[in-house]
Amino acid sequence: MAKDRGNKMIVQGLHISVALGLLLAPCVASAQQLDNSQIMGTLAQVRSAAPAVDVALLVEEANANVGKGVAALPNWNKLSQLSQLIVEIDFENNSTAIEPESYRTVGLIADALHHPDLFRYKFLIVGHSSSTGNAKHNLELSQKRADAINEALSTTFAVSPDRLFSVGAGEEWPINPGHPESADNRRVQLINLGLLK
Amino acid sequence: MMRKKVGIFTGAALAAFLSITTVGRADTISYADAVTTLAKECGSDIKKFCSRENLGNGRIQACLEKNASKVSPTCTSTLGSVMTSIAQRQEAQASVFKVCQHDISQYCNSVKGDGNILSCLIETKRVDNRECNQAISDAGWR
Repeated sequence: MAKDRGNKMIVQGLHISVALGLLLAPCVASAQQLDNSQIMGTLAQVRSAAPAVDVALLVEEANANVGKGVAALPNWNKLSQLSQLIVEIDFENNSTAIEPESYRTVGLIADALHHPDLFRYKFLIVGHSSSTGNAKHNLELSQKRADAINEALSTTFAVSPDRLFSVGAGEEWPINPGHPESADNRRVQLINLGLLK
Repeated sequence: MMRKKVGIFTGAALAAFLSITTVGRADTISYADAVTTLAKECGSDIKKFCSRENLGNGRIQACLEKNASKVSPTCTSTLGSVMTSIAQRQEAQASVFKVCQHDISQYCNSVKGDGNILSCLIETKRVDNRECNQAISDAGWR
């Protein structure tokens, strides 16, 4: 999710972080393997002790820490404890337009969110970029791209907007910290935020 | 005369019944499959004419319609059917708990939560209500 060429967010596969403090370590799977049952199986697992997350505070923390990373910040840190999966959604260069090749992934998410097993839950879409380009710009663009996914889900696919939240992480939380410029870092996290109140 | 009228009426009713049955049985497709078709048939037109537009809020649809004279005929016809597919699936999903209300109160009365009620409906063999079973299939919840 950066402005450089191609904007490939090569597959991240699926993972569930179950235990407290477990590092994000998704296994690599191909985009073709992503299907509805995987999404359902991953996102429907909700721990009763899952922490409450305030999305406004995530935005605040990220904006106040550009270039310093978000993973260790108090509110961002909570995200690791929630059921989640990582998907690849490609965008046009330096744009919030989702590439047609990624429509299917957004549709798969819509199918899952419309299943009765997930009816009662709210979800957070987190956009990530690589470190290519300016950090502040990357943060803004990833926020707008996460918002674009949110908008597609809540309009085209009629997922109730009160179940959807979106935030950008920019380049502040690389999945491959040894290579922050790597395309692997461009990715979208879909996180189950718990019961809709 | 009377007989003829009855005959016509029966014929019309039969036709109506058949068309309803056909509509009812028409398979709905998943949101993922619907937009996969859109990407396949309209992807190059979207990239050519609508590359800054997004999937949300009907913008891709509006852009393709605005450029209808330049967009490929396959894409134009696909666009309509994709939008219909999405609407049909949404309608089906919204109707399940209404259509199955009787079976829910009959067989799944003590079950709490939409996901559990759905599992109960699917697992209860005595739910022989064709409309309810069809609604669950059309919603894509099997």
